[in-house]
Order: sequence, then structure tokens, then C-alpha cells
Amino acid sequence: MDKNTMSKFEELKNRQVGADPDVLNWNERDLSTELIDAGKKTPGMDKPMLVITLVILLIGIIMVLSASFTRSLYLQGDPLRLFSRQLIFAVSGVALMLVTSRISVRTISRWSMQLLLVSIVLLVLVLIIGIRVNGARRWIGLGGENGFMTFQPSEIAKMALILSFAQMMCKLGRDRMRTFKFGVIPFAVVTGIMIVLLRMQPHLSAIIIITALAAIMMFAGGTKLRWFLLAVTILIAMISGFVFFQLRTADPDVAISNVSMDTVRENLDLRSLGYEGRRITAWLNPDADPLRDGFQIRQSLNAVGSGGLLGLGLGQSRQKHLYLPEEHNDYIFAIVCEELGFIGAMLILMLFALLIIRGYWLAMNANDKFSSLITIGITSLLAIQVFLNVAVVINLLPATGISLPFFSYGGTALWIQLVQIGIILSVSREIPLTRDMKKVKESGKLKEESGNSQL
Amino acid sequence: MSGGVRVRPGNKTGKKTGRKTGNKTGVRAGSAVTTPARRADQKISRALLVRTLFLLAICGISGFVLLAVRLYDVQIVNNSYFESRTLNSQLRETTINASRGTIYDVNGKILAMSGFVENIFISPLEMSLHDQDVRFIAEGLSYLLNVEIGSIIERAGRTNSQYQVIKHRVESDEADRVREFIIEHRIRGVHFEPATQRYYPNNNLASQVLGFVGSDDTGLDGIERRLNDELTGVSGRIIRLTNARGNDLLFAGFGDYMQAKDGNDVTLTLNMSVQYYIEKHLSQAIIDYDVQGGAMCIAMNPKTGEILAIAQYPNFDPNDFLSISERENERISHIEDEDEYQEAHRMAQFRQWRNRSLADSYEPGSVFKILTYAMALEENAANADSTFWCGGTIDVSVFSDVTQRNCWRRRGHDSMTLFSAMTNSCNIACIELGLKIGPRTFYKYIEAFGMFDRTGLDNSAEGRSLWWDESVFFNRRNQSQLASASFGQTFKVTPIQMITAAAAAVNGGYMMQPYIIKQITDSEGNIVEATEPTILRQVVSGETSALMRLMLEDVVNNGTGRNAQVRGYRIGGKTGTSENTEQLALRDEDDTSNKDYIVSFLGFAPADDPEIMILLLLDTPSHETGIYISGGSIAAPVVGRMLEDILPMSLGIMPELSSEDHRDINVHVPQITGQSVDEATASLEQQGYSFRVVGEGTTVTAQLPARNAFVASGTRVLVYTDTEVPRDLVIVPNLSGMSYSQARNALESQGLFIRTGGAPKTDTNASVSVQSIQADREVMYGSIVEVTLINAQIVEQRMN
Repeated sequence: MDKNTMSKFEELKNRQVGADPDVLNWNERDLSTELIDAGKKTPGMDKPMLVITLVILLIGIIMVLSASFTRSLYLQGDPLRLFSRQLIFAVSGVALMLVTSRISVRTISRWSMQLLLVSIVLLVLVLIIGIRVNGARRWIGLGGENGFMTFQPSEIAKMALILSFAQMMCKLGRDRMRTFKFGVIPFAVVTGIMIVLLRMQPHLSAIIIITALAAIMMFAGGTKLRWFLLAVTILIAMISGFVFFQLRTADPDVAISNVSMDTVRENLDLRSLGYEGRRITAWLNPDADPLRDGFQIRQSLNAVGSGGLLGLGLGQSRQKHLYLPEEHNDYIFAIVCEELGFIGAMLILMLFALLIIRGYWLAMNANDKFSSLITIGITSLLAIQVFLNVAVVINLLPATGISLPFFSYGGTALWIQLVQIGIILSVSREIPLTRDMKKVKESGKLKEESGNSQL
Repeated sequence: MSGGVRVRPGNKTGKKTGRKTGNKTGVRAGSAVTTPARRADQKISRALLVRTLFLLAICGISGFVLLAVRLYDVQIVNNSYFESRTLNSQLRETTINASRGTIYDVNGKILAMSGFVENIFISPLEMSLHDQDVRFIAEGLSYLLNVEIGSIIERAGRTNSQYQVIKHRVESDEADRVREFIIEHRIRGVHFEPATQRYYPNNNLASQVLGFVGSDDTGLDGIERRLNDELTGVSGRIIRLTNARGNDLLFAGFGDYMQAKDGNDVTLTLNMSVQYYIEKHLSQAIIDYDVQGGAMCIAMNPKTGEILAIAQYPNFDPNDFLSISERENERISHIEDEDEYQEAHRMAQFRQWRNRSLADSYEPGSVFKILTYAMALEENAANADSTFWCGGTIDVSVFSDVTQRNCWRRRGHDSMTLFSAMTNSCNIACIELGLKIGPRTFYKYIEAFGMFDRTGLDNSAEGRSLWWDESVFFNRRNQSQLASASFGQTFKVTPIQMITAAAAAVNGGYMMQPYIIKQITDSEGNIVEATEPTILRQVVSGETSALMRLMLEDVVNNGTGRNAQVRGYRIGGKTGTSENTEQLALRDEDDTSNKDYIVSFLGFAPADDPEIMILLLLDTPSHETGIYISGGSIAAPVVGRMLEDILPMSLGIMPELSSEDHRDINVHVPQITGQSVDEATASLEQQGYSFRVVGEGTTVTAQLPARNAFVASGTRVLVYTDTEVPRDLVIVPNLSGMSYSQARNALESQGLFIRTGGAPKTDTNASVSVQSIQADREVMYGSIVEVTLINAQIVEQRMN
């Protein structure tokens, strides 16, 4: 710490003592917050988080170039069409991220409930003015239907859910969070409203994410575990009951005792239940209808499987030559696996894991509960999306239509993801770095005044 | 990181708890700053930390472990499965059709060739996947390809199939129209694949020789079948990586290419021009003589054994080999029973495909006498000075059997020299020679002349000859068999055997290996295989052969072959008439009126140095025509006509005409129109034409016959000076049996012109046997009628 900081430090210490007992019990966090407020040099944003994000983003953009190259060339004749758009969004997105990281957590918390309101309005609005794609209204266009930008209100809703839940949880306090009345109902209502609105689009993947996100937020926020247990039990019972009923319909002789995973795989045919049913059937048995429902997952597995240990080499994917649909989008990870192989895919997954672990670590070290909760929310959202996307690509789960953060083509989604990282970086700014604090402590003045010597 | 954890504020430390309690008193009302309780809530509780750690373990670690395990399973464990499955869909194998080789005649003219066409097929699966309007597509294809719409719709209904051929072998312009239709309407599921189509540009020409190919491009008959392995190439393959649309993958070097090897080309010894003239006169002969059983003709170069032509009627068009000729169709059209009709139709097909010149044997009759004379001369059983006496019959009895053989001329030929015995085709002289030669020597020569074996021209298509067994033939009791055999009866040989043996008798005595495949070349033109003339053996000496040529020339100049004369050429030949033995066996003994005959003539030219030998067989000429049925009166003039065309036009051998010949030939009428009448008449007179001037004018405005018309020399030219040529229709008179001058007058009185063939028109005994335009037909004034003259005194033998 330079002289200037030290003098400010002294000044703060003197001002706080006796001024307000509520803020008197300053510690390192308060100190750093104040330091930030004072615009002084602070430990700054979390460098590992920033670096990992930028590395993932860089790889993602390169993969968009590689994956979109062929389709753009074949269909539009301009191989760089999608890539150049993504590049613009990535550069501006990084700027947005840095700007967001400068916004204080307090500001964010102040606007979180308003954001929830806005997101609900947008979810209603999209049903009216949304752009219809494949029978679903999920997009709002800025500047007309074919304007420069489109975005999904569901992305805003996810963000709003994280921020508003965190805010509500802080407001409610620990004790009330333990009750059913406060710990479950308000959150269930908000989530329910969102789910209903999303169902009207319809938008299955967003419903899944919103539901999972709400559960994680409530879990972190202190909702009693028994409600989760109850919900999970009911869910499992409903699913098994449904599966058994379906099997029974197909074959009356089926008994619970002889149902195995294989019989489910072979006999469960939900194709009559709309497109979700068809997707589940295709997931269980991709070869049942290889040219229609099972086509995409088979092509995806072909890409992943033919990658082998080292892959075909960057840019060498063959499945991207119009075989694999959505290769630059939801299935971009299949191209990653094909081109970079098991090694490359694992390195990228490890980067994601590092990002997520670092996110949770920052949450655990956050300055306050709100910061911690929004960091948990954002990190979990990231984790859910990565897991669900990759799991679909390798047919671990039925196809849902979730994009891979930082990889999949899509400008506004990338912006939102980078803004989310920006929020985490903002949270990280308020975390003092241990080493710096040690220096402060070593200055000896702290010991005399506060008696926080045990730290 | 662990250091970081330590930094977090433990709310369990006594100090903090203390602070908390202490803070309770100092709440600032309305303050943005939270109450102490609230503030405690804003601190990160232990529960939150634990639950965050739990989330970290699930989302940050377990999830990724799960993904990693599955990824390992897909990418490493099952790598080869997915790799091969992927390549299966990405690799496209395209077959490159090898082009079937071309068949050429000796001058490089194309007899059979292959062209590239396309098969058009649909993928009903693809059509249903892309929700295509089947009805609309079927209507379009039906209209463009002329395929029944019902069958297209029916095929399009097989939605599990990806390959239903709509039409085979579509020509490129037709395929292009379909292509336009597909592009215009953005149709999915209609595809093309390359195929080949065999073309026979000359249609019926040499059909039995060439054969034909089946729908799979495999030769089923003739040269096409015999040389199928040579003509068929080896298909090539392209294996390449493609994108999902089947186009070559960009930037991918992976692929394999195996060049198609086109089939070898075959050059035949066949001369298309010779073949053409032979078929032309053959088809005319069929009509002229109402030949019932078909006609065969072989032309051969007697010095080399090269086959110049093999023709047969009825024939067929290899482009459409299932159809039978009109004449055959007429013959079977009266059959009402469907099964019987189908059977008759099938038999007609077999008949037209069968190369009878090679496959069928016949009794050669008098043509065979060539061999008897040759072996007699060679064995010194006779010489140029030998004399014979024919009393009409000869007793060939041995022991108590009383057997006698008759000459065709019951009253006998009296005393003859060797030459006149031949020119008269006397049977008795032949029997005497045969008996002198003896059965063993006779058989030895028969074998040397190749009469027992297939000639080897095309063993798969050749039939066998039919002879008495040695043990029968050598038995003295059966001397009568030898007697009959010596003039060509009681055995059967194939036409190809006959002509090959006859060639040996006149070409210096050499038995030549007959052949039709001159060479086989690969697609680059390198010779793979070439056939050279092969002498199998020498059967008779050069002297004998030379004498034979003189004797046979004498047959045409002065004997039974007189009707085969061609002015300006030295022609040699021998007539033959034999009974249809199958029919004979079914006859009543005393029924003599309506025997069926095979009339034949073997001619060669030039007689002193033969370049071509033609054997013509007409199976069962009808008695209805009233023409005396014998080789000399029916077959000989046809061969004469053939040679008249072939020698100058195909072989480039020009006639050497004496002044007498000039009166006897057909000539091309000069151009006189436009000249003054005096000029024209003077030049006509000078060229030996008579003329009649019509009109009063001074300039010739028109002429009949037209310029360059081919008419008999001495024709009276009509010179029109001021009137138009009449355009009336006139009736052709019946010329049968008339002498040349009678026929000419009869025609000229109708305003018609004459052209002749057969016996010389100067021959006082020559009379018209057939005319090219039938009597009572209406033709344009000034038309030319071609007549065949035969020497009425030449009455060929007919054996009892």
C-alpha cells in the first residue's frame, strides 16, 4: 500500500470509530468496500475468473469460425458471415463485461426487483410481438422483425430470477427462509409465473433451466432441505409412474419386478406425445428413427465418436459439411470433439470446470450474502447450461435446445453471459486479497486498534 | 485458496457475536443500512457455505466427471464404431460405367457402338421425407418420359425404398428435360444414374453376325456374345468424401479413384459395303421368287479365308431384337389361339436370331461336284482330256442289289469332255469319278476339305455336318452311297463348310481357316489380338486348282451358271439344287409336282484370281412364280447381280468391257437437257442410244430417262423440246417369259424403260424370269423396270 492509501486508511478508521456503531465494526471487507468507494487502488477484479473467461471466449470464437464456415459457405456463399457477427458481439461483449464489473453490487441489488418486473413484462410481451420461429415465439427483435438484433426474454428472466431471489432471500432473512410460507411459496410463485409464461412460448429448455436455477437458489438461500426431498420424491414417483403406465399401455404383461433400464430403452415409445415425447424416444433409442427424430443425435454422436483421442484437427470436421444440423449452435461441442478429440474436449471442459469452481469459490468469499447468492446463481446457471448442452451432444440427456455458453453462435446470449461474468467480477472486486490484507496487518496499526489479531 | 477461506468472517467468533448483540441498540430508523439482524443475515452463514460447497461438488466436479466418463466412452471406447458409421454416410461410391467396345467393319465403319444414357430413378423414402407432391411429380415424369403414370405412383408408394427405376436408358435430351423439370419445381427424390445403350447404326445389317445385347449390356448372341468378355470393360469406382448433399467435400483430400477400363474394340473382316449389296439383292430375291424358307449368303475372300459378309433373311434389327420382320409377322398373324401365336412368334424370333449359314446343314447338291472333280483330278482319276458318256442312268449295283442312279437329264448328255461334264453338271460323270476315287480316298479328301469338323469360324454357333459312318460308307455293298455322295446328295454340310472347301479348290488348293475377327484393339488403339490368314493344309495342287478355276469359269460362260454372267468380269461358279429332305420324307412316293428345293449358287470372281466367293442359298422358292426352280435359273442371276455391284463398288475391281459387252450392259444416261436438239441427238447417236424427239422446238427442255438413270444400253431416249415430261400413271405390263426385245418393246410402248440383269440380253435364248416392278402396278410414266433374264435352255438338274 502506498502512502496515500495508508493515509486514507487512517482517515477511514478514525471516521468510522464512534461515528456509527452499526458500521463501526469494520473489518477487511468494509475497509475494501470503502476503499473502492474512495476510488483507490484495491485488490481489483478476480484475475483468474477474467483470464479463464477470456480464454474460453477466444476458443469459442475460433470454434464458431470453424463450425459455421462450411454452412455459411454452402448456403450463403460467404464463409465468414456468422463468424464476423459473432466476433463483433464478442468484442463488444467483453467491453460490456468490463463496464458491468465497475457497477457496484449495491447498485445491482437496488435494481434487482425492478429487473424481475421488467423480465415478466418482457415474457408477456414476447407472446404478443415475438418473432415466430418453428411455431414458437421466443425472440424479440430490436429494430423490427429483421432488425440487427434479437434477444430472448427468457435470458433476461434467468438473470432477473437470480438477482431477485437473492434480494428476496436477503430481505427475508435466515429464519423466515426456513419456513414454508416464506422459504418456498414466494419463490415458487415467481418461478411458477415464469414457467407458465415460458410454456406459452413454448420454451422447454428455458423452463428446465429456470426450474433448476430456482431450486439451486432456494437451496443456497436456506430453504429447508425437506421441501427439496419432498419435491424430488414426488418428481421421481411421477416419472416412474408415467414410465410404467406407458410401458403397461404398450405391453399389458409388464410387471414392476421385470422392468429394467433395457426394457425401458427398448419399449418406451412416447412419440405419440408430441415433440418432447419424440425427443425422449430418440434419446433412448436414436436408431429407431434414424432419418427423422434420431437424425440429429446420430449425427452428433458420429461427430463426437469419430473424433477419437486427438481429433481430426482444427477445421477438419467432416460432420460440419451439412451433416450435423445446428453445428455452429447447440451442437458446436460435437464439432469441438470431432476436431480436437477427447483431449481437446476434456481441456475445454476443464476450463469450464475451473470457471465454475472459481465462481463458487468467489461466492464463498463474497463480501455479503447478496453477492454470494448472485454469484452462486450465475455460476450455477453457467454450470447447468454447460452440463445440459454437452450431455445432449453426447446423448446423455434428451435434446433440449440449450446453447453452450461462450461457444454457441448467438450475439445477445453471449452479451448476457459476459454481463453475468461482469457481475461476478464486480462481486470479486469487493473481496480483498489476503496477501494485501496481510501487508496491512503487518503494518501493526490494525492490531492495536481493532483487536482482530486472530485473523 | 485455503488462505482465502480463512479470510472469511467467522460469525462464530466471540468478537463478532458480541458486536452483533451490541448493535441491536443502534438501529437507524429509515436508514438504508440494515439492522443488525438483517446485517447478520447479509453475512455469509455457515449453512450457505456448506451448501455452496455442495453445489461446487455437484456442478463443478461431479457433472464434469459424468460428462468425461461418457465422452471417454463415445470417443475412445467406441471410436471405431462411430468412425466407420460416420464414414459410411460420408463416403460416396460412384460407379463409372465402362463403355462397351465398338464393333467395326474391315474399313473402320461402325457396326455396333455404345452411347452413354441415364437411368432415371426415384427415392420414395426421400420423397416422403420431404413431403413431395407425388401426384404432380408422377404426372410430370409420365409426360416427359412417356411412362404410365399409374406405375410411377405405385412405385412412389413404396416409401421404404430408395431406388425405384422409372425408366431405363434415357437419352440425354430427354434426361435434360427431366432435369429442368426437377430444378424448376424444386423436386426432391428424383435421381439419375449413368448407363450405357448399345446402338446398331445400320439396323438390320449383318444382324445375325453381330447378335445383340440384353438389358444388362451383356452380349446374348453373335459377336456380342462370343466376344462379350473382350467388349465388356471393367467398371471403375470413385470413392470420395462428400457433404450431406453428395457434393465433394471441400478441403478434403480423402478419396479413391479407380479408372474404368473401357471394353476392347473389335474389327471384323466383314465389309459393310459387300454386306449391304448382298442383303439388298437377297431381300429382292426373297420377294422375286417368293422364297418360303429364308435365304442365306456367305461372301468370303477365298485366298485368305476372311469372311466379307454373312447375310440371312429373315433378319432383325438388333436395336429391337425382339420384334420379328413384317413378312414373318404376316405369316403368323392368322394364328388365333393366343398360346399358339406366342409359340409361333417365339419360333420366328429363334429363326431370325439363328445364324443359319453356320448353324444349319443342308444337302449341297451339285455345288459339291467342285470337290469331287478336284479330288478326281488330284488323284488322277481324271484329267483335262478325260471323256465321259452319259446315257441318262448308271448301274451302281453291287452283288445282287440292283441299284441305278439317274442323271438329272433323263435322256442323257451323250459324250462329254471333262469340261462339258462339269458345265452340264452331269451326275453320271460325277458318279464315275466317285467310284474311281473309291470310298476311302473320297473320305480322306472330304476330311481334308474340312467337311467333318466345324470350320472354327465360330465354334459356339456352328452346327455339325451329317455323313454316313465310315463302316457304312466303306462297305462295298453301299457303293450307291458313294455314288450319291459324289454329286452332293445323302449327306449334309453347313454352308460355311461348303464355301470354305470350295475356296480351297480354287485358291491354289489351300484349306484356309475362315475368320471374321480381324483384330481386337484396346480403348487406346493398341492391338490386343490380330488374326492373320492361316493355311490349314494344302488339299489339292496348284495345277488342279487352276484347272478347277477354268472349268468353273466355263460353267458360267457356257453352262448351267450362265445366268450369273456379269459383263466385263470373269466369273466362275457352280449351281446347285437339292431337295428339302425333311419334306421329302413326308411325301407320297408318286407325288412329283411340288417338291421343295434349296437352290444355291457358288460364284467367285475374278475367275482367274478370285477376290471374292459368294455362296447363296435360297430355301424353298415358291412354285407359284412359275419360274423353273433350279440353282441356275434362280440363284445364279442373284449372285451375278451381287457381283455386278460388289466388284466395282465394294472391291474396286473395274470391268473390262469388250465392244460386244458394251451392247449388253446397263449404262448411265447422259445429260442432254439444255442442249440444242441437233447437238443432243448427235451425242445420243454416238453413244449408241436410239431416241425419239417429242415436240417442235430446237432446244431440249426435258429428257426421259433422267440424267444419270441406269438403263440398258441402246435404250430409246425421249427428247422433249417444248413440252413437259408427262406425269401420267401407266400400267406395268407382264414381261414374264418375254425375250429382251419383246420386253423392251412392251415397256417402251407404255413409256417405261428397261434395265437388265442375269443372262446377256444378246443371248437369243434369254427370257425374262422376274421383273422389279410387278405386273399391273401403276407407276409414273418414264419409270425404269429392272428385269432378270435367264437362259431358258439351262435347266438345272433335279434329282429323282
